Amino acid sequence: MNMFIASDSPVDVQLLTLGTTIVVFIIFFVLASKFVWPHIVGGLEQREQKLRDDLEAAEEARKQAKEALTQYEEELKKARAEAGEMIAKARQDAKAAAEELRSNNARELAELKTAAASDIESAKKAAIGELHAEASTLAVAIAGKILQREISESDQQQLVNESLAEMSGTNS
Amino acid sequence: MIPFIAADNPIHHILDRPVSGAEHITLFGKPAITIHMVSLLIAAIVAFIVLRIAARNIAIGREEEGTDRYLTSGKLSSVIEVISLYMRDNVIKPVLGHETAKFLPYLLSLFFFILTCNLLGMIPFMDMQVTTAKLGWGSEVDWAVFGGTATSNLGVTLGLGIVSFIVIQIHAFKSLGLGGWAHHLTGGAPLYLLPIMLPIELMGIFIKPAALAIRLFANMVAGHTMLAVLMMFGMLAFKATGNWVLTGGVELISTIAAVCISFLELFVAFLQAFIFMFLTTVFIGQMSHHDDEHGHAEAAH
Repeated sequence: MNMFIASDSPVDVQLLTLGTTIVVFIIFFVLASKFVWPHIVGGLEQREQKLRDDLEAAEEARKQAKEALTQYEEELKKARAEAGEMIAKARQDAKAAAEELRSNNARELAELKTAAASDIESAKKAAIGELHAEASTLAVAIAGKILQREISESDQQQLVNESLAEMSGTNS
Repeated sequence: MIPFIAADNPIHHILDRPVSGAEHITLFGKPAITIHMVSLLIAAIVAFIVLRIAARNIAIGREEEGTDRYLTSGKLSSVIEVISLYMRDNVIKPVLGHETAKFLPYLLSLFFFILTCNLLGMIPFMDMQVTTAKLGWGSEVDWAVFGGTATSNLGVTLGLGIVSFIVIQIHAFKSLGLGGWAHHLTGGAPLYLLPIMLPIELMGIFIKPAALAIRLFANMVAGHTMLAVLMMFGMLAFKATGNWVLTGGVELISTIAAVCISFLELFVAFLQAFIFMFLTTVFIGQMSHHDDEHGHAEAAH
C-alpha cells in the first residue's frame, strides 16, 4: 500500500468522506437556496411574465390597430361615396343652374326682341303719322297754289282728313 | 522525472489521499483531511460564487436601467440561465408538474454541484502541484493539498445518493402518507405476489440512490483511469526500451488519444451530472401522489 494513499481500492468507502460530502452539499444547497435560486428562478419568471405581458399587449395593440384600420377604411369608403354623391349633385345643380340661366336668357332676349319690335312699330307708326301730316300740309300748300286761292284752316283740315282716310285705305 | 509523476498503477491517479502535511491527522485510523474533501469544498465554493454572480446577472435589474434590466449580462451567466431554463421546462416540469417549484432548488443545486466537481476534476491540479513541488523544492513525496475528481470517490457519490434518498423518502411520506408508501411497495401486484414484490421493492428503495452513486462514480473512475493509462504508455515504452525516440512517438500518439478522450470526458462530466439529477427527479416523481392509479403504477415501474 502506498503510504500517501488513503485507501488501496477505489470502492473502499471512507465514511468520513461520505459525511463530509453530505455536510458540504447540504451547506451548499442551503446557501444556494437562499442566495442563488430565488434570484435565478425569480428572474426567469419575471422575464417570462414580462414577455407574456408584452406579447399580450402587442396582440391587443394589433387587434386595436386592425379594428381602427377597418373602421378607417369603412369611413374612407363612406366619405368617398359621399364625395361622389356631392360631386354628382353639384354637377346636376350646375347643369340645372346653367339650364335655368339659358332659359332666362332666352326669355329675356325674346322679351327684349318683342319690346324692340313694339318700339319699332310705334316709332314706325309715329313716323308715318308725321309723314302723313307733313305730306298733307305740303299737298294743301301745293293745291292752294294750284287753285290760286286761299284755303281756310277748316278746309285744310277737312282735306287732310280726307287724304288721310284715302291713304289709310290705300295702305291697308 | 516529470514524465513519470504518474504512479505505476493508473488507479492511484484517482484514489483519494491525505492532504500533504496533514497525513498525521487521523480519525478512526483513517486520514481526516483528504484531497477529495478539499476538492469537494473548493467545488462547492466555486459553484456557489459562480452561481451567485450568475444570479445577480440573471435577476431583473433596477428600474433606471430601462429595458436592459430584463437582459442577462455575461456569457457564463447566459449559459447558466439557458441550462436552468432547459432543466426546469424540459426535464423537471414534465416529470414533477406542479411540484417543480418545490424541488427545483435542490435539483439544480445537485446538478451544478456535481458538474463543478466533474469539471474541476478535468483540470490536473494534483499533477501540477506534484510537479511544482518536485521541480520547486525537490520534494520526494507527491506533494498535493487538493485535486483529483471528487466524484470519482465512492464516498462522495454515496453521500450525494444518501441526500437524494432522504429527499425522495421524505417526499414519498409527505405525498403518499404511510399507507400510500406501503401500498407503493406492492407495486400494484396481486396479493400472492407480495412475498416477492415486497423484498424487491424494499430493496429498490435503497438500490435506486445507490445506483445513482455507483453510476456517477464508475463513469468518473473509468474516464480518468483511461486518461491515466493513456498517459502511462510513454513511461512504459521508456521503461521497456530506454529509447527516447520511441518513447516520444508513443507519447505523441497517446497524448493525441488522451486529448480526444478528454473531450469525451468533458461530455461525460455534463452527462453524468444531468443523469444524476434527472434520475433523482424521476424517483421523486414516482413517489408523488397520482390521481390516476394506472398512471401511478406505470410511473412506478
